[in-house]
Amino acid sequence: MRQHSAYSRSIARPLTGVAAALTLLAGTAHADATLDKIKQRGKVTIGVLVNGGPFGSIDPNTQQLVGWNPELARAVAKGLGVEADLVQVQTATRVQFLQAGKVDLLIASMELNPDRAEILGYAPTPFYRVGGAAAVRKDSGITQWADLRGKPVCVSQGSSFAKPLSTEYGAQVQGYKSSSDSLLALRGGNCVAAVHDSTLIHPLVNKNPEWSQYAAPIASEILPAPSVVWTRKGEADTIAAVDKVVQEWHRSGWLIAAEKRVGIAPANPFLVEQQAKLKTAAR
Amino acid sequence: MSDNLMVQGVQALKALGLNYAFVLDDMERQAFVRGLGVSLQLCLLTIPGSLVVGVLLAAMLTSGRAWLAHPARAFVEVTRNTPTLVQLYCAFLVLNMLITQQLRDWGAGPNPLTPFIWVVIVVSLHKGVFHAEALRAGIESVPATTLEAARSLGFSRRQLLLRVQLPLALRFALPSLVNNLVDLVKMTAVASAIAVGDVTYQSIMIWTQRDNVLELLLLILLWFGLLTWLLSLAGRWLEQRLRMPGYGQ
Repeated sequence: MRQHSAYSRSIARPLTGVAAALTLLAGTAHADATLDKIKQRGKVTIGVLVNGGPFGSIDPNTQQLVGWNPELARAVAKGLGVEADLVQVQTATRVQFLQAGKVDLLIASMELNPDRAEILGYAPTPFYRVGGAAAVRKDSGITQWADLRGKPVCVSQGSSFAKPLSTEYGAQVQGYKSSSDSLLALRGGNCVAAVHDSTLIHPLVNKNPEWSQYAAPIASEILPAPSVVWTRKGEADTIAAVDKVVQEWHRSGWLIAAEKRVGIAPANPFLVEQQAKLKTAAR
Repeated sequence: MSDNLMVQGVQALKALGLNYAFVLDDMERQAFVRGLGVSLQLCLLTIPGSLVVGVLLAAMLTSGRAWLAHPARAFVEVTRNTPTLVQLYCAFLVLNMLITQQLRDWGAGPNPLTPFIWVVIVVSLHKGVFHAEALRAGIESVPATTLEAARSLGFSRRQLLLRVQLPLALRFALPSLVNNLVDLVKMTAVASAIAVGDVTYQSIMIWTQRDNVLELLLLILLWFGLLTWLLSLAGRWLEQRLRMPGYGQ
């Protein structure tokens, strides 16, 4: 009998620990202390995705983060009137960085979708719109998304294209750790197509001589979705403050200039649309 | 009926703050269950694979012939001293790509080596090296007098190895071998890096959409815990069974 109670006590203690940890994880929805904390520290920590190219890379000379995501992150901090502290994040773990409080905001090429909107907060004005494009070998005979049915397609783990590719187009989706691994797997013949943000694929197949055997022949983009700034769930004050900054970017044309400055081509028509929309709304 | 039970289970866990809603999605549940199977398959193939590699390498290492022992020693050192993940990337992303391109240039058709096969090869070779070192320790611990006695009975080199040294070495090395195999089971999770659909990979694919990392990690933990526990049970049973009174223990 005594032995039994000792046993149940030794089991119960770790369980209370787990329960406490769970409460901590679940308890992110209370009052918004983040904005106060940001103002108090005079510093906002922003997670940015840096995977090479104009959307984010590391300047080899200065070791500074440069490109679209870092520029936007610095501009958000400026808009909030505080210093920017940039933290590099990975596609597969960026949400954990935000939820664990390692970063206050995410500007990480992370598009809006209902699943994410359920667990995270976001500034409702999108700053960009990105869809997926497929890189394939020129001799593959693939011309439309439906041609991928039943064929292996490489994506990166955490990509939002995985779901529509498998459910709508019946492709066998293979997720690699990063987009560079996925593209190498395409070159290794492990899949017939690699599907990534069009902003990654187009410059690659159009400009890079190593990719002369490859093309992006499918005209339409898959899952074009708005990119937003992400916060933790329920942080209404932070969301409102960031949204004001993003709206101002559109109105002033800063985003269009920034897109040109970091070298994103072709220019995204979404920015012009959004600017026109906000200008009429203001009138 | 079972659907109902699952819905209730998911709701009960949700009350605890755990989001297991993915089991209600047919595709994700099937993918996860498939992942459990693939992890098991990887173990069932790499365990014998690594043991064969281990025995061959140990035989080469202790053969006393330089042209066998030196290449084996070089292979052991290189393999033991580089991370498995790096080896897997080198093999799959580099070697495999070169093979594919070569085959395409020759017009020999598609590359038959799948990511799954590469994981089996790389993990078997990597762990085989550790087995080889454990077996070498066993082989070298066989008393010289025993070997002399066997030789005086006219045993050839091969008979000596297969009938005397290996059986004794196996008993001596068994605890280290089981230790290596437990490590090997855990190592199969590297498969997720190159999109082999093991349980880790399927979990990553689910949690990057649903962000239920904790919930899935608990399941992964349980699954690998179960596999390694079964393995250590088998190891202990073998140790008991092979025990020779008066030798070792």
